[in-house]
Amino acid sequence: MNHRGLLKPLNNLWSLVLFWIGTWQARADRIGEMVDISLKDQFIRFASMEDPALRFALAGGVILGILCGMMGTFLVVRKLSLVGDTISHAVLPGVAAGFLWNMEKDPLAILIGATLAGLIGMVLVSQLTRHTRLKEDTALGMILAGFFGVGICLMGMIQRLPTGNKSGMDKFLFGQAAALGWEEIQIMALVGLIALSMIYLFYKELLVSSFDPSFARSIRIPVDWIHHGFMLLLAFAIVISLEAVGVVLVSAMLIIPAATAFLLSDRMHWMLLWACMVGVMAGVGGVFFSFLGQKLPTGPFMVLSAAVLFALALFFAPRHGMLARWWLRRSRTLRIQRENALKAVFHIMEKEAFTKEGVTVIALARSKGQTLKATEMTCRELERAGLATLSHEEKALYLTPDGMRRAQTIVRNHRLWERYLTDAANYAPDHVHDDAEEIEHILGEDTVRMLERQLNFVDRDPHGKPIPTIQDIASSGQAQASKGQGMSGYRNPS
Amino acid sequence: MSSERKPSESIPLEIHDLTVAYQSKPVLYGIDVTIPPGKLIGIIGPNGAGKSTLIKSIMGLIPIEAGWIRLFGEPGKRHLKRVAYVPQRESVDWDFPVNVLDVVMMGRYGRLGLFRRPKAHDREVAWACLEKVRMTPYADRQIANLSGGQQQRVFLARALAQECDLYLMDEPFAGVDAATEASIIELLHALRADGKTILVVHHDLPTARNYFDMLMLLNMRLIDFGPTEAMFTYEKLQKTYGGRLTILSEVADAVRQNHES
Amino acid sequence: MNTLILPWDWHRVVIEPWSSGASVYGWILLMGFLINLTCGLIGNYLILRRMALIGDAISHSVLPGMAIAFLVAGAWQLPIATEGTPSPVPEGLPHGMAMVIGAGIAGIVTSLIIEWIHQKSRIKQDAAIGITFSTLFALGVVIISLYADKVDLDADCVLHGEIAFIPLEPFLTIGTHPIAPAPVVQMGVVAILTALGIGLFYKELLVSSFDPGLAHATGIRADWIHYGLMIWLSVVVVSAFESVGAILVIAMLILPGASASLLSQRLHIMLAWSSLHALLSSLIGLHLAIWWDTSIAGSMVVAGSGLFFLSWLISPSQGPLWRRLRRKPSTDTKAAATQPLSKTYS
Repeated sequence: MNHRGLLKPLNNLWSLVLFWIGTWQARADRIGEMVDISLKDQFIRFASMEDPALRFALAGGVILGILCGMMGTFLVVRKLSLVGDTISHAVLPGVAAGFLWNMEKDPLAILIGATLAGLIGMVLVSQLTRHTRLKEDTALGMILAGFFGVGICLMGMIQRLPTGNKSGMDKFLFGQAAALGWEEIQIMALVGLIALSMIYLFYKELLVSSFDPSFARSIRIPVDWIHHGFMLLLAFAIVISLEAVGVVLVSAMLIIPAATAFLLSDRMHWMLLWACMVGVMAGVGGVFFSFLGQKLPTGPFMVLSAAVLFALALFFAPRHGMLARWWLRRSRTLRIQRENALKAVFHIMEKEAFTKEGVTVIALARSKGQTLKATEMTCRELERAGLATLSHEEKALYLTPDGMRRAQTIVRNHRLWERYLTDAANYAPDHVHDDAEEIEHILGEDTVRMLERQLNFVDRDPHGKPIPTIQDIASSGQAQASKGQGMSGYRNPS
Repeated sequence: MSSERKPSESIPLEIHDLTVAYQSKPVLYGIDVTIPPGKLIGIIGPNGAGKSTLIKSIMGLIPIEAGWIRLFGEPGKRHLKRVAYVPQRESVDWDFPVNVLDVVMMGRYGRLGLFRRPKAHDREVAWACLEKVRMTPYADRQIANLSGGQQQRVFLARALAQECDLYLMDEPFAGVDAATEASIIELLHALRADGKTILVVHHDLPTARNYFDMLMLLNMRLIDFGPTEAMFTYEKLQKTYGGRLTILSEVADAVRQNHES
Repeated sequence: MNTLILPWDWHRVVIEPWSSGASVYGWILLMGFLINLTCGLIGNYLILRRMALIGDAISHSVLPGMAIAFLVAGAWQLPIATEGTPSPVPEGLPHGMAMVIGAGIAGIVTSLIIEWIHQKSRIKQDAAIGITFSTLFALGVVIISLYADKVDLDADCVLHGEIAFIPLEPFLTIGTHPIAPAPVVQMGVVAILTALGIGLFYKELLVSSFDPGLAHATGIRADWIHYGLMIWLSVVVVSAFESVGAILVIAMLILPGASASLLSQRLHIMLAWSSLHALLSSLIGLHLAIWWDTSIAGSMVVAGSGLFFLSWLISPSQGPLWRRLRRKPSTDTKAAATQPLSKTYS
């Protein structure tokens, strides 16, 4: 079965899964019946969206999903996943400093402070890697934990102050979307809009500099500026997401939706789209689940929702999921097994100079050194693929015209390759067989024709056996079997 | 050669006393060469000779310690957009979400400038370049689903789409099948017929003899530069390859055969 | 801002801790030193093997292992000693051991999942690491939040630990003599075992870190060493967890080794420098924390970073001071270029 035939239903399956997940809220009340009363109340509260805190939280979750999806896509393809982690930890002292600026929770001051801290951290990382022998991962880890340590110290000092509001700081650690207010949503929306327009305006520059930086430089794209601009935007995005997801888990919201999208798409704009969708679903899911409990933080639930979607993609993605890959590998193995069986049949018929039409299963089993049962299974496989028919009374296998053509093609590939190796590459004739065993299944038609031309249309392999030509293959199956004459119009070795 | 010669626009590449270092170790030093237009030129040398480094420093990807490089008579990056660079195949992530046509279209981006979207004309050029390398059936394939030779052809098509006058190629023949190799040579000859200048870093000495008009022998210093046959002498090749006896003996055979024929 | 940074008071910061508070601060210093030492020693190998961020990953992902271990250990009803007789098993021990086992399992699971994702799909290694540890960490936080009463970990503990409470932990006793707080003993044992392990397996660790091909050729099982390192790293992290938390432990893993690498390029000397860095950063950090009245673990990290900066300044190979002291800068390429080739490329 052609593997492509499987991809379409997998695609549909995937869309179905997404649809099911996406309509979760619509069926929330039905699920609510299955849970105890207090949860059900929360469900209804959620679905009806009367609670203004909930509306803000959801808006925050959606904006965050889109923002992290977009920025995360470029993080993943530029292989900067752990840079996101470093920035998200390094902003902590900036958050503390922002708080100290006005001695209160001023979102703008915290935003600026955190962004500055993140940028300084990244500058230090690049300075460290440039001026010392330290590798990039070591530098990232040092800045990550070092800055975090400074932040923890500052937070400890803030807690002592009379105005130090501990619970306010706590929210920055694990996120509490319910604490989002109108001001925060505005800033989030603004940053989201800026990010969206930057990515739109500089799309091709981002694309080329991510894919092939040397080439981008050679066509005068300002790769370094793009990188710095991206880092700046990333720092903003991380800081914006802090309050909803928390310092520790922001990088997860950047990477996981984008990685999920990476498994689902083969082109950049689709990856961006998928990443935003998964991000939104994760954001909403996180808000939803954290809403069920009294003091549950949002961040971890967002991450877990995203992780579930990632796991689904990892297994079921149409081309790149594990199921699809397993299927492809399996069909390839089956094809090779079939072709080897055909080859064995051909060899037996050749030995008899093509006088007999069929090959007994016993003879086949003996030639391949297999058990009778295994050989019977192979024969049934061939039958299923339309390459042969099995006659039960005689216990013999008869090739169909298709099967004959395929058998001849394989044998031709094998023997041509052997000839090529001995003639052109000076291999010893007894060394060529194993190589040809592998190659015969994967030679493409143009390569085979080129081989033929190069070998001047030689007609025998290094062991003296005749090489089927294209004419042989084309006319195969048309001639009738008759005494002493080949069934296929194949030249009899004389 | 007078150093007072006026820089000419028609000379695609002029290098003077070029020295390039990597972590305070010299990789190239004192390179002095003038490339004439409209020729197919091979850069030959052993591993570590600095061949890729030379190409990259011409493109401005590596800083220069000393000396200068002039492209079409002007220093710096002024005429860089008339130069197309085909890097070694390994330098790219093949899982990147782009297809074959996307990669070739990237060759047009250099002409577009910031904030501009590709137009229909750009698509036509990209498509024509794909035809020249015979990759049109694969236009919407993701790039990981290609053989090595096919991937190399996509990179070539991208360089063609740039419509440049000087082409710098880093080992385009490395690891490709015979069919691709033939089509690459065909392409290079077509470019040369169009008056383009092509510099190719090449790894295989015997084929270098057949492919190129001129050869640059490089081993951290420029050993020599001139027409191919004149470069294939025992002394010159020994200077280039130093103690590499195995290659040398092969080449010595080839040279002797040539003298005997 | 006046009250933010408390004024330097010689008596309060330096004298008092070592006079009246010696019993408390002594243990804190010892614990801090043991943690810094152990992390620093094993961290050298992480840096060499370019696994600094896998170290980051494991320190995060041991959290669900610990949380689950707590739940499991709590679910098993352990025998309670009868009144009057001394308990044969110190109270904290089953939980402590359960956490170590849970963390070890979590460390292995993390390592396996990362490899599995990376090899079986087109996801690259950096993304695989990020996905795995952040998911596991989120799982850990969720478990802690949901079972807050049954799991003795809270957010503060996770993020920065509280080493100041170490002296208050129940002491381990031999007979009736109290020896040391249980976590200190545990950390001490881990430290000794780490040093022993590095001593015993010095060659194997060195070769497998530097040249896996050579390791394979000489019969050293590089994959055993890798997984062994992962497990031991998890054990170290969990032993340090209550004191310094999940994130600061990364600093303690990396800073000593990174500083040492600036001062020497020979492994055994680097190990020695790391130990000195551990001692100094614990000592200085403790006093900084007393001065600023803030988290001790955080201050130790700040001190460690300062020591790193100092190491860079005085670094003979990469620091600015020595470079300036030399007459000719070593980056003179023309001078190097005129030397015979065989000398330049040895």
